[in-house]
Amino acid sequence: MTDMSLEKAPVAAEAAHGHGHDHFAERSNNLKLAMWLLLASEVVIFATIISVYVVFRVGPDGSKVVEQVHEIIREWPGIWLVTINTFLLLTSSWCMVMGLREIQRDNRQGLIRWIMATAVLGIVFVALQYVEYTELSHNGIALFNQGNELDGFGMRFYAPTAFHGAHVIVGVLWALFVAWNAKRGNYSAKNYAGVEVFGLYWHFVDVVWIVLFTVIYLV
Amino acid sequence: MSDEKHNAESHDSGHDHNDNFKLFGREFPLPVYTGVFIILGIVTLFELALAEIIPRGGLTVPLMLILSIGKAALVVWFYMHLNKDSRIFAAALIIPVVMVLITTWFLTIVPTFAY
Repeated sequence: MTDMSLEKAPVAAEAAHGHGHDHFAERSNNLKLAMWLLLASEVVIFATIISVYVVFRVGPDGSKVVEQVHEIIREWPGIWLVTINTFLLLTSSWCMVMGLREIQRDNRQGLIRWIMATAVLGIVFVALQYVEYTELSHNGIALFNQGNELDGFGMRFYAPTAFHGAHVIVGVLWALFVAWNAKRGNYSAKNYAGVEVFGLYWHFVDVVWIVLFTVIYLV
Repeated sequence: MSDEKHNAESHDSGHDHNDNFKLFGREFPLPVYTGVFIILGIVTLFELALAEIIPRGGLTVPLMLILSIGKAALVVWFYMHLNKDSRIFAAALIIPVVMVLITTWFLTIVPTFAY
């Protein structure tokens, strides 16, 4: 049977073996629960705006409009730009989790290197998204296309992708904050809750992009 | 290194030293996180091939959606550590998604135009 208690968290179990580390375990569990609750609210927002796109996509006019938009995207900026962005985020998630692995081994320099790589990949992602938006708007895909054949698409496309982009920007700033904290020696093999909680956020941003990439750009 | 010392260090550092990637019973000399990353990359390329290269059939879209959900599940399970943490955290993802799926289903059965 599935254990539903918070006590299952490994940090709590491990810290209980040490002396005087109970408060770290409790803090870690509280932080993680708070982050998961925040993510629950984020799931509601993202799922709602993605479902608005899906309802439009499966509607009578939406399919034709989306096919036209996909043709425009294939000409330029091309599906390859978005694919590169997808790989950037997947790689950044890998860097993040490798950073966590390093601090679990008490290697602060390793953590800083991996977290900085995560931040750089996030910055490149946002820059490429800016390029994509610029090209799409030059090709007539604007927020509002009233009166022409692309009517109704712009807001349904830009709302989820821009909201996601905003999360990446926040994530980059948070990554830099984590790197700064690591440089000041605030994390160790026994105290890395701050890194773990940032990781939850960053991986969630990756999960959302995995869904957006398929639902908006591929299907 | 004695077993006692190894166990003590495992507890102190808060992780298992043998975190090699295992697939279909075979162990690879790379971390689990790297193995998952390689799988995510391969599946993404396959999705792209399905969308852009392979001619589309009736199963293409459902297959792409299943692959996407699979990728998301891999990230949540291994990178967000749901495989080690309390399963109650999964409710934070599953309950809102189920609610929105039900809402979306309701929306799709509402007539698009009034007659």
